[in-house]
Formats: sequence, C-alpha cells, structure tokens
Amino acid sequence: MIVNDIEIMFGGQAGDGSLTTGDFIAGVFKRMGLDVYTYKDFPSRIRGGHTNYVIRAGERPDYGMADFVDGLVAFDLEAVEAHIEEMRPGGFVIFDNTSETVPAEKKRGDVTWYELPLGKMAKEDLGLELVRNTISLGVLGALIGMDMGILRGIVVDAYKRKGDKVVDLNTRAIEAGEQYVKQHFSEWPSGYGLRAKTDGDRMIMMGNDAIAYGALVGGCRFMAGYPITPATDVLEWMAKYAPRFGGVAIQAEDELAAINMVLGAAFTGVRSMTATSGPGQSLMTEAIGLAGVLEIPVVIVECARTGPSTGMPTKTEQSNLNQLIFSGHGEIPRIVIAPGTVEDSFYLTALAFNLAEKYQCPVFVLSEQALCQSKATLPVLDLSRVEVDRGKIVREPVVFGEYKRFAFADDGVSPRVIPGVEGGMHLAPGSEHNEAGVITENARNRARMMEKRMSKMESARADLPQALIHGDPHAPIGIIGYGSNRGPIAEAQERLAASGVATKFIELRTLWPFPEEEVRAFIDDAAHVFVVENNYTGQLERLARYVVGPLERMHRVLKYNGRPFRPIEIIEPIERLARVRPMAGAR
Amino acid sequence: MATMLTPKDFATATPSWWCPGCGDYGVLSALKQALSELGKIPKDVAFISGIGCSGKISGYLHSYAFHGVHGRALPVATAVKLANRDLTVIAAGGDGDGYAIGAGHFVHTVRRNPNITYIVMDNQTYGLTKGQSSPTSQTGYVAGTSPQGNPDSPINGLSLALAAGGTFLARGFSAHPKVLVDLIKQAIEHEGFSLVEVMSPCVTYNKINTYAWFKENTYYVSDDPGYDSSNAPKAFETLALDGKMPLGVIYRDQRPTFEALTHLPEAPLISTDLDPRRPEFAELLKSYR
Repeated sequence: MIVNDIEIMFGGQAGDGSLTTGDFIAGVFKRMGLDVYTYKDFPSRIRGGHTNYVIRAGERPDYGMADFVDGLVAFDLEAVEAHIEEMRPGGFVIFDNTSETVPAEKKRGDVTWYELPLGKMAKEDLGLELVRNTISLGVLGALIGMDMGILRGIVVDAYKRKGDKVVDLNTRAIEAGEQYVKQHFSEWPSGYGLRAKTDGDRMIMMGNDAIAYGALVGGCRFMAGYPITPATDVLEWMAKYAPRFGGVAIQAEDELAAINMVLGAAFTGVRSMTATSGPGQSLMTEAIGLAGVLEIPVVIVECARTGPSTGMPTKTEQSNLNQLIFSGHGEIPRIVIAPGTVEDSFYLTALAFNLAEKYQCPVFVLSEQALCQSKATLPVLDLSRVEVDRGKIVREPVVFGEYKRFAFADDGVSPRVIPGVEGGMHLAPGSEHNEAGVITENARNRARMMEKRMSKMESARADLPQALIHGDPHAPIGIIGYGSNRGPIAEAQERLAASGVATKFIELRTLWPFPEEEVRAFIDDAAHVFVVENNYTGQLERLARYVVGPLERMHRVLKYNGRPFRPIEIIEPIERLARVRPMAGAR
Repeated sequence: MATMLTPKDFATATPSWWCPGCGDYGVLSALKQALSELGKIPKDVAFISGIGCSGKISGYLHSYAFHGVHGRALPVATAVKLANRDLTVIAAGGDGDGYAIGAGHFVHTVRRNPNITYIVMDNQTYGLTKGQSSPTSQTGYVAGTSPQGNPDSPINGLSLALAAGGTFLARGFSAHPKVLVDLIKQAIEHEGFSLVEVMSPCVTYNKINTYAWFKENTYYVSDDPGYDSSNAPKAFETLALDGKMPLGVIYRDQRPTFEALTHLPEAPLISTDLDPRRPEFAELLKSYR
C-alpha cells in the first residue's frame, strides 16, 4: 500500500464544481499534516469544456506534479478519455456512471475502477444534483482513508454561511459516499492509504494571494491593473484588502492606463504596482521604459501564461523571460526576480518594493500559472522578516537650484524628491535630460546619464535574492531552473539520488541582472548541465550559455505544451546521459 | 501669510522650443496667470503632459512636471491625484495626444471624474512631426499623410466628453487671454474633471485654421445671456450645430469625484503607515490556516 503519497485529479466540465471540491480535499490533506500542491488545469471559458484540478499530497515540501495521477475522480467520460493515459499503474478511477459508461476498450486493466451513479444518488437520494461532488468526497475519503472528521469539518465550515439546510445536505452527501464504498467496494482496496500527522502551525495559500499579501505588507498602497488571466487574482485581492490599510486598487481601462497610473502614483511617492500577464506586459512596455529613464520605482508582477498572442490563457509557460529582460526600445536598468514557491512569492514581492525604491527602477516579479494559481502548504509567513527601506526618498524641503533630481552619484542613485516638497520642483521628462531634468541632447551628458542609470544594476547586486543550491553541491551533473520548476526538479533530484545519480540544482531567484558569477561557477564545476524550462527556444539556457560561452555539456530540457513538468520528464534525459557517458566526477 | 505669487513665479529658465507666434504661448501664459491668481504655489502643482509641441509645455511651468509617453497624460494625472489629493493636478497635451493615441484614456478619465484639469491645446494638425492630419483636422485637409485630403471627419472633443459624462466642458482661444485665464481658473476650481480645449493655431503648418479664421468663425456662448450651461441637451445642440464654433463654458455639472467614489482614506496615500508589523496583517493570515 502507498501511504501518504498521492495525486488526485478531479475532472469534469468547467463550472461543475471540480475546483471547489478539489479545494476541500487540499484542505483535508493539509489538516492531516501532509504537504500539498494543487494545479488548476481549466479551460479559458466559464462554463463547459473539460477542466481538471490536481491535488498532490505527501511528506515532502516543494511539490510539483507527480509522474502520474494516482486517483482520478471523473465526473464524465471526457475526463476518463483525457486522462486515462496519465494514470499510474495500480491507480484508481472513481467514475460517475449516471448517464455514461466507460467502453470496455477504454478501461485500462491496470487500474481499479469504482463506478457508481454519483449524479443519480445526489438527485434521487438527496434531492440536489449539485451535491454529487460532495458524495464523491465521501467515496474518495473512504477509499484512501481520509480523516472523515476533518473532511466534515471543512465542508461544514465552507457551507455554514449558507445555512443549516445546506450544511446538513452536504454532511449527508459525505455519509452517502462513505456508505456506498462500505456496501459495494469493500472487497477492492484502492492500494492507497493516509496516515495523519500533526498539522502544526501551517498555512495553505495560492501563489497569487501570497504575491498580493507580500505587496501589501511590503508597503504597496496603490495598485492599478486590468483583468487578465492568470494575474487577476492579485488585483481582486488588493481591491478587497488594500483599503483596510489606507491603500487603493484601481481597475483601469487597459494595461496602458494601468502602468501609467502606477508611474503617476509612484512618482508622487506611493509604493505602487501592477500585475499582468504576457499580452498586458507587451502593452506596458513603453511606459516601463519611461519608468526606467525617469527613475521611478515601480513593481510589475508578471504571471506568465502560454503565448504568443492569446496563446492558451489558462496554461503555464516560461516564455516571457526574454520579454521582461529585453523588451522595449532603448536600454534601462531593471530587475527581474522569480520566486520558486508560494512562500517565496510573499518574501520576494515584499522585497521588490525595497529594490524598486532603493534603485529607482522597474522591478519585475516573475511567476507563472503553475505557481501563481497553485496552492501549497507553507509555514506561517514571518512578518518580522519584512523591512521597509524607502531608499533615497526626500520629504524635507530642499534648496531650489541646488537640488537636482537626477544628480550623478557613485551608486547611480539620486535623492528622489516627491511632489509637495518645497524647493524640489523639476521636470521629469521621458526625453534625455540633465541632472536638473532639463531636456538636452548634449553628447557628453547623454553618455554620463546612460552610465549613471545603468550603473544601478551593479549597485543593486548585493541586495538581490540569492540563488539556492539544492542537492549535492559537488555532484557532476548540474541542473539550472527557476520558478515553478523548483518542485519537480527537487523531486527528480531525490529520485535520481536514490538510483545513484547525484545532482546539484541551482534555483535562480534573480534572473536580471543575470547572476553571471554564480552561474559560471556552477557550470564550470559540472560535467554536464541541464537547463529545465517551459519554453521552445531555451531562453534561460541561452542566457546561461551567453555567460559561459558555447559548451557541448549544456543540455536543454524543454516543455512547451502549456503544462508543468512532471519529475520523470526531468529524470529521463539525465538518466539517459548518465547511462551513455558515465561520469567519474566533477571536472 | 506669504505674499501672493505672480505669473513669473511659475516660469522656468528653460527657453521655449515653440515657433514664434505659436498659439501655445497664449495657453502657457494664461495658465501661469490663472495659477497665480488662484494663490497656488509651485510645490503643490503637479503638471503632466503628453508628447507633441503641446507636450513641451510641462518644461515651461515651474512645478512638479511630468513629461510622459504619447497619449498617457491622463492616467498619470489621475493617479497623482489619488496618491496626493492635496496637489493641484493639471494635465495638458494636444489634439493628437488627447483625441487620437490617448482617446481611450480621455473617455475613461471623463467617466471617472477625478478632480483634475485637462487642457487640450488644439491646433488641428500634428506640428512636431511637421504637419500631418490630426483627429480634429477638417475633412479634406491636405497634409503630408493625406495628400488627397483628410478622409476622416473631425472629432468634437467636447461632445465626446459630454457623452461620457463630463462635468466641466469649456473651450477657449489662445488669442483671447483674459477669457482663457478665467476659463482655466474656473476649471481648476471645479470639483471634478474639467476640460479646457484651447484653440491654439499652428502658424507653421495649419494654413486653414489661422488666428484670422478663429476670429471669424467663433463666438462665445455667454454672448447669449440666456445660455444655460447646466442644460446637457442644449450643450449637445450647441456643440453639434454647423456654423461658428462655440467658445466659453459650454456645460457644467456636479457629481461625486473619482477620489470620493474610490473611498480613499482621510489622509493622502503618501502619508499612510507602512509598518509591516501592524497587527492587522497577522490577522489577515488566519483564513489561510
């Protein structure tokens, strides 16, 4: 029996409650003391279309997806057809056979089938078809040994606002599922079990909530955005909570307005941000260049999705890295940081506001659909780790004529006055300007201004989030990655180690300015390096290769079908190489 | 009490890039006059401009001036006002900046009604790029990009703003400084979004809509003592009628500002407490346990 290691998938039609049901399960696993990761794979529409929600639970933190689905709860045949190939041999399917049956040729013989009329039971026994989801929870819970007390508690909590009747109905639905298993399936064990641990003081949170919360705690009091999947959660969260802390979140008419509002508020002295995804990011490009030349501290959260153009709005990808680093005409200083976990999403977003104000430049927080819309268990966030450092902001009167907003400085950072301060009046122009802000095309001034602005990138290095090395730091095989791939890579490492292949993994948390020295040292010290990323052209691999020059021992592990990596997809290419070219050790 | 400032106190040392005789000089001097007459002081004025000849104006007004990207002055100005309501916030730009590339923001800013003033310096051409058609050029206007004559019909910015829920719509003429000062003063004092479109002739490229043309083809609505600027249908009609172009305060109304409807806190956003250890933050986490 497999204990405390399971991936459950709920599959059905969008709008039929798979997501809510999945969230209940995630909550149960969490309260049973397990580590949880969830992944939403839903279509870009409100009702109809196949959707699924994956909940992974186990005993190691930093999960991503597993190699296979262990338990599929299929509310229709389409869910079976779409995912039967992803099932682990020995896994199980719970199938609602109210109106459809699974044709014999589609019934894989190496999984256990639990077919029952969930819809019919809901409608006829309980009087409401909607509760078939809840019945499925009872079935699933009984099959894998979930703590039914915790399940009931979570369902009761979720529905208590809707009144006793709804609570009672759902409690009975759980009961009905549990009873059905006892009466019909007791002969066929699922092969999976759960053993409760102590939940302890932990949280379960979605990446986007952690970003928004990090922003608010980090001092953000102005947000403007335009709804776009998968970033909208951040704007909604801020719209709800920012006013409680003296802040505001505005829904703009488009991304052009949103980013320009962020510039306006930041220019005026308020910590400000926007959150968007690829298409919105493209529209914001011009104004981000303006923030660069006007040295305005702005934070831009990029929740990457599959591109180009509309692409697949609800699917994940890491194809906007080049965009964040290189987009726009002209050259500006900019910082790109990327959390690899929900927990890190909080700390890095809070930090982004310090970086923006200390170095007076745009700071991108890069997440992606498989991280920002996923939930994970995490330790309670530690607010004492957040500091607000406003850099060289000037709130006291200055002497007009002496004060120069864009004064040359050794670190490239000039004291930044805000409107309303006596003596600080100046022009902030997108045109090239002198230290006082007066527009000029003087050649010497232009060169010095470029040097001043760009030198901030070097000044910032010491403050940037450090890369993390996971695994055996002396292993001959290296892996480079960032963002949501931290989970699958870390898991791949553990399993490779168990089969005798030692690896080291450098998780980059700052992507720009590129951590050249760390990456060079990492590559120099490895016999082979695998760069794992979700895109076609190997954007990160190119950056890394640019640093070290062309190398035969660099290998790309790419995925660009809109879905996150499963560990086996990282393990296989590494094992293949390890078989062909056994490595004595590090170079 | 400090002594009253004069228009000179709002001047910068930067020499103007405008052509001699440009209508924009009249707009700048009227603005400086209006600000000084209202008792404003430069440190509390935020002045945001777009791109074009008109956009240069932010370099010539002693204030906290922001010369942004083309067409986006209004979102910047709206946010400056939200961030610090104590500032007098004025945006300025040309007909291309406001009614072409920035038309979307124009309509939506009117809708929102933030307490800011927007001065559109309308010369009915693209001056800085050397004389192409603009959104207010007349149909048939011959220019570099429309050698066979401009095929588009002109936008009436005031009608557009009226349809979008504008609360203060005025039109002035840069060669009538006294009236223009008065219009700008009323606009700044208006509680809500105020639009002052100023006919500002381009002496270099627009040979049709000249100073003489405007003197011939305009009239003030106030010439009719019975004109009721609170009557929206009448304002629409006045703006739509063929013939002479109406000047003056065409329409005014009152409704809650964006700042009021956004439920901003009592204190300006710039002065909110940024302590990350406020107990309410920890409280927020409870729902994630």
